[in-house]
Order: sequence, then C-alpha cells, then structure tokens
Amino acid sequence: MPNPSGRDVQDMRASATRTVTALVLGWLVPGAGHAVLGRLGRAGLFFAIVMGSFGLGLAHDGKLALYTDQDRVLTALQVVANAGIGPVDAIARSQVYGDVTYCRPETTDPRYKRIVDTWRARQRSLVSIYGTAYLWTAGLMNILLLFDVWDIAVGRKG
Amino acid sequence: MHSHVGHLALYSAIVAVFFAALTQRDRREQLRFAALAWAGMTGGVIVLAYLMFPFPR
Repeated sequence: MPNPSGRDVQDMRASATRTVTALVLGWLVPGAGHAVLGRLGRAGLFFAIVMGSFGLGLAHDGKLALYTDQDRVLTALQVVANAGIGPVDAIARSQVYGDVTYCRPETTDPRYKRIVDTWRARQRSLVSIYGTAYLWTAGLMNILLLFDVWDIAVGRKG
Repeated sequence: MHSHVGHLALYSAIVAVFFAALTQRDRREQLRFAALAWAGMTGGVIVLAYLMFPFPR
C-alpha cells in the first residue's frame, strides 16, 4: 500500500478542515456552509428560504418544543427539529420563554409557570399549528443542508 | 394569515423551491421541478381533502 506523501497529507488536512468549517458554519448560519464551499448563489437562496420559514413560524405562534419525560421520543424529535436551525433557535427561546430552555421545567421550578403558561398560550393560538410546521421545516431543512454540504465537501456531489 | 389554502400554497412553495435548489443544478430544471412539486403538493392535498369530505369525524 503506497504511503501518502507529505503534500497529500497536507491536502487531506486542509480538506478535512474545510469540511468541518463548512458544517459548523452551516449549522450556525443557514446557507453559510455552501458559502464556504464557494456556492454563494445557493447559500443566499437557502438562507432566505430557511430563515423565511423560521420567521413565519415565530410570527404564527409556532411552538418551540420542550422535552418532557412523559413523551420522551416525540418531544426529543421536536427539539431536534427546532434546534436544527442553529443558535437562532436559542435566541428565539430566550425572547419567547425569557430563558434558553429545551426541557419543560419541574413543577417545583420557579420558572415553571412562566414557561409553561407561555407554551400553552402559543398552543391555544389559532395559527400555532401552521407556525409549528414552519419552525420544524426550517430546522429540518437546515439539517438536510448540512448533509448536502458534507456531500459537496467530500466530492460526492459536483 | 388565517387561511388554510393560503398556508398550503405558501408552505408548498417554500418546500418546492428548497428541494428544487437542493436537487437540481440547471436553472430550467429547477423551475420545472419546483413547479411540479408545488402543483403535486397543493393539488394532492386538495384532492385528498375532497376524498375525505364524505367521511365525517
């Protein structure tokens, strides 16, 4: 088996660094991973689509999911769908709940009433079901974008 | 916006444009894919809604 030359090793390291950078930035800012890989047009379009969907979700009282022990699997999947969009989800939670929380607090927790009341108020909204769909879609689209970034970075997609 | 049909059209448009940009490279193919996906989603939902009409909850 041939040993890779020093130049090959350097190239592999640079490529791995670029891939990791693209993935991390892609999660932090939707579309940024594509920008790192030189696809600026698509990056802008994906940013607009994902952030547009997220904005519609917030504007329509979409529920920012909270993990609960009563329904572990479904609430965990909902949190993953929300968190897929990156730190902007945490910012939205801090604005909506007054706290960056991903779990429903215990009834003894002083934050319980504020967070659960806010969550219920959004759930009662007539448009909440639409808003929640937009929020989940935004997060899931960004996760799909990360897979696309990976495929482009490793050369599986031209 | 409180309209079911309005949200159906808007949501379908977002998803159709996203997948067109993700899966197609040629601009013409992207437009064709987006139009077909949008029509398929909105049309499919409307057809399904009419099929469900005779069955009350």
